[in-house]
Amino acid sequence: MSHQLGRVVSAILQRYFGDIVQQVGSDLFTYGSKPIGMIVKTSGLARPLVIDSLRTLLKFDLASFEPTANEAIADYKLIPDNVLLLIRYPRYLLQVKSKYGSEAELLVEELLQQATCTSSMLLVTIATKYKDDKEKNITILKLKDMFISLVTAGYIQQAPVAELKEGSEVPTLVPVATIVPDIEIRPLVQAMSTGDMSELKDNIYWRVNYDRFHLDFRDEIMIKAITRRIDENAGELMRFLLEQMYLKSPAWAAESSPLCALELRERCRGAAAERPLLHQYVDQYLKVLEENGGGFVRRIGDSGGGQLCVRPGLAARQIVLAALDHTVTERLGSKAARIFRLIRARKYIEEDDIQKNAMLVNKECKQLTYKLLEEHFISVQPMRKAASSGGLAKAVYLYHIKLHDVAQAAQEMCYRSLHNVLRRAAHTRAAHARLVDKMRRVRTIVHGMRLRGEPQQNIDDVEETLTPPELAVLQDVEKRLKQLSTAELELDRNLFLFKWHFMHPEK
Amino acid sequence: MAGRGRGRGGSNLSLTHEQLQALGIARGDNTSQVLIPPPLFPKLEAKPLPLTSDAATDYMLIVKDLFIEYLHESPAYVKRKTKTDGIERYSDKYKMLALNAKNNKVLDCVWANMPVELRPQAKRTHVSTRKRKLVDQDAIAKRLQTLEKKENEDDTETVDSAENEKAVKSQEADDDEDIEDEHEEELEMDDGTDYANNYFDNGEDYDEEDDNLDDGPVY
Repeated sequence: MSHQLGRVVSAILQRYFGDIVQQVGSDLFTYGSKPIGMIVKTSGLARPLVIDSLRTLLKFDLASFEPTANEAIADYKLIPDNVLLLIRYPRYLLQVKSKYGSEAELLVEELLQQATCTSSMLLVTIATKYKDDKEKNITILKLKDMFISLVTAGYIQQAPVAELKEGSEVPTLVPVATIVPDIEIRPLVQAMSTGDMSELKDNIYWRVNYDRFHLDFRDEIMIKAITRRIDENAGELMRFLLEQMYLKSPAWAAESSPLCALELRERCRGAAAERPLLHQYVDQYLKVLEENGGGFVRRIGDSGGGQLCVRPGLAARQIVLAALDHTVTERLGSKAARIFRLIRARKYIEEDDIQKNAMLVNKECKQLTYKLLEEHFISVQPMRKAASSGGLAKAVYLYHIKLHDVAQAAQEMCYRSLHNVLRRAAHTRAAHARLVDKMRRVRTIVHGMRLRGEPQQNIDDVEETLTPPELAVLQDVEKRLKQLSTAELELDRNLFLFKWHFMHPEK
Repeated sequence: MAGRGRGRGGSNLSLTHEQLQALGIARGDNTSQVLIPPPLFPKLEAKPLPLTSDAATDYMLIVKDLFIEYLHESPAYVKRKTKTDGIERYSDKYKMLALNAKNNKVLDCVWANMPVELRPQAKRTHVSTRKRKLVDQDAIAKRLQTLEKKENEDDTETVDSAENEKAVKSQEADDDEDIEDEHEEELEMDDGTDYANNYFDNGEDYDEEDDNLDDGPVY
């Protein structure tokens, strides 16, 4: 709950929901939880506006509420982590599209837009939207099958259900276990043809399960890391290991329970057609994975052909360390990175020893060390020696890396730059709003004229209302906005790494 | 004592000469003092890496823009009611049309999952039904009847001799209730503030729990 987090959350709310929701959101962020009356008072907004904003926040699961002491009104509370997830929505869509195809993409997209929705409503809406689209060939039957497979795979889950306690006006939301539904197709088709949704009696609401997507991201990162470190066969082996892990341990466990190497060999034999080499050298690959796989996999016993254990917790640590190395290199140069690695290797090291071992000029070495200290990449631990006979009490300064603190600092950096990116984009957009608006209008007019089949001459006339300098500016603006937008996505990737790491606290 | 001894050394510097040397600052090394503030936008020391741009990124960018556009069009994007500055413009008509289309929409939520105070028009309907009750003569008559019935049921053994009297009484009681109703209404009207709620804690149950614990120390 840092200052930087507050700033970035406020900027995201502004981008997605506008100024008023932003005001309410940052008000809630600063004060923790409070009822409507208090929000109205501190934010200075009219009550209906506050109510509208709270509806938006609650709908998209960006805020929660609980009854106050007197049970009649509710206290509202912002959920900053969920606000940050808004930036990750495109990544979810990409994931589901590449894994399940375009129907799944449509389903998840619509569900993300609606936040919560009943299955029949969801299916009918999408089917009606793409009724005339011959290219995509979307039928309600296919959508239904896809919906069920997404629910089975856990990407979509049942939304929490409201429970009203006796004598209270504020419901409490209780999470429910997801049951794979049995959807009847006939009433849906009927509703689609008549366009009347009121006939559908469906009161089970669904929403996207972000956590399932995060698991996918985690697996992908681990597999990619192994692939890059060893080779593709090893990456595939990692995938099999993770598959087995899902069967035997909780999904977010820091260490899996023992996995049997025999089953793994079976699995490789199954995939022998695609990866003959992997099948041939399973044992060797396992050995390499153990010894040179960054500690992702560990052998914990030899019974039954070998017992293995996957360690996502350690993997997160390794990957965060790599990310930090990279950050230091990019920010302070490779020499600073050398010092950083040296300190990490030695755990605790004196300043003199850094100079001796880093193979740098003394002064430069000191400068870089202090710079690292200043930017919170390393910490210093003074150890006072007892006063020696010389009179001066000498102190030893031990430099070391507190991974948790450094990761926190790096996360703050991400928040800060995310905020900067959002602000900059908002500024650019505001500065060129008129021009962008003009371009959009010209485009719609031209599009309309093309449809009506008007002569090229007239179309050119309309297009020429945008002067060449204006076009140049527009191109520049578009390029810059695209760059900023890409930066947002990249920053979110890094934020995911840190969040994953914090999920497995060190013992 | 040692601290005082050092203090007598006479230097007002925060660091002694030796300490400075240990930090790598030699005698003539002191840089001249900087008197101007640092630049507002300092030059970047290192150039950032180029961002990746591939099909996947492009796809995500498009999807993101679509999503944001959808939100901006939807009632989730809360806007103030625009005030006109009194000057009529030709474009006003279209602007108002667009605004009205948006304003009339209410965010589509699962109202059962929301606190009552957020549901649309929950409060207003409540108040209006009450008002109607006050005016409606039929309702009053009906209520009187039900009250009468109740009383009859309550004490069946008592004789109905003073029925008229009772009726008058109940009428009075009902009038009182009406006044009370009005009061309640007022209370409900300024629900926005917390004055109506009884938050007062007289402190009586402040250390209730402690009393029980004070039986004696546990050894």
